[in-house]
Order: sequence, then C-alpha cells, then structure tokens
Amino acid sequence: MTRSALERALPVETATEPIVAWRAWALSGRRDGSHLLLRPVVGRGRPWLPGRPAEANCRMLGPFHEAPQLACTCGLHGTHDLDLLRRTRCPAVIGRVALWGRMIEHELGYRARYGYPQRVRLICQFCFWQWGTHGVAPTSVGWFTRGELLPMCDEHAEMAGRYGMRAQVWLPLDEIDQRLRDTYAVDLLPS
Amino acid sequence: MDIGQPKRIIEVEPVSLPLPEAIPAPDPQPASVPEPAEPAT
Repeated sequence: MTRSALERALPVETATEPIVAWRAWALSGRRDGSHLLLRPVVGRGRPWLPGRPAEANCRMLGPFHEAPQLACTCGLHGTHDLDLLRRTRCPAVIGRVALWGRMIEHELGYRARYGYPQRVRLICQFCFWQWGTHGVAPTSVGWFTRGELLPMCDEHAEMAGRYGMRAQVWLPLDEIDQRLRDTYAVDLLPS
Repeated sequence: MDIGQPKRIIEVEPVSLPLPEAIPAPDPQPASVPEPAEPAT
C-alpha cells in the first residue's frame, strides 16, 4: 500500500484534550547551572522554550513541510510506555508530555505537531538504560563541554570519569532539579 | 526510536492549551556588589 493510500485508509479522529505520553529529553545550560533548556535527545533540534509550545517542523523530505507527515518520521515523539525510552540515546530527563495539534498515533507512541512538558525528573542515563526507573537516583549533575548537562549517580559518575568522560564541573542535583521545574513551571515526576 | 506502524491520525484542538499560566523570571544575572561606602569622617 502506498503512503497516500495508507493515509486515506487510516482513521481520522478529533479530540479536544491534549494527549499525554512519555518522553525523554537532553538538558543544556550554563556552567553555573543557569539557563536550563530541554532539548531533543537526537539531532540538532531546537530547544523546548519555557512557557511556549514546542512546534515540530521538518526538512527531511526536501523542502520544509509541516510535521508530522505519514511519509516521514518527523514530529514531537512520545511513547505509550516508559520502558521504551530506555532505548533513547543520552537521556537526562524523563517525564510526561502533553501533545496536541495534528498527531499520528503509532503502535508504541505518537508523533505530534505541538508539545509541552507536564512533569519531569532527572535521571542517571546509565542506570536508566540498565534498570529503567528502578535504577539508582542521580546524586549530581555534570556540566560537560558544549553546555551539556548529565545527571549521574555516584557509581556511574566515577566510572564515567575513569573512561575519560569527565565533567568540567559537578552541580548539586537538588538545585538543578528545582531550577528545571521552576524554569518550565512544571511538577516533579514521582518515582 | 522505533514506535511501530501508524494506526490513526488524531486532530487535537485543545479547549485550553496545556501551558503554565506564568513562567518565573529567568535566572538573574550575577549582580555586581557595590563597593562599601567610605565611612564618614
């Protein structure tokens, strides 16, 4: 079945409430832990700005097109299941995201035009990859070159340093966690 | 990340946007500390 035929075959529904899904973000900021921004975990996508809806658009199929398109993989992604996010590359933050606008529901999640975080939590990516949310909570946040912030537990911070992944500075987790939630005016994702 | 095959298209037009009503002011820039005034003599 061609894409256009598939699009015609898919049911189209309307809704008046945003759909809430799971999502992971990368985190950037300044060396002192200020100017925190959630960012897509892949590619060089634009940051999610505080107080404003994140909007997806795409140039992957040549000229700019509105996202999401059925024939593309574009759009703001969210998943039905938190565990699926364990396959994400370098997540620093997990949480619940409200999605709206044109959306395509897939078997395991969604792609949407607009989104805004609702609840967030800092995670140790290494614990999350291995044990999901049952891993050890991070204890500090490393600031790396290019402004990338990575929360880690003590054991993985030590291990990362041993393998050459050295933070320029370590910041207190509680401080970054609170600043992040204040920045986006969102709640903590309970553990 | 593979999220499987598309199942349906949903046009979501929220009655109200899921955005915070107010965002706190951005992180303040470090304020310069004024020099203490010279004691009056």
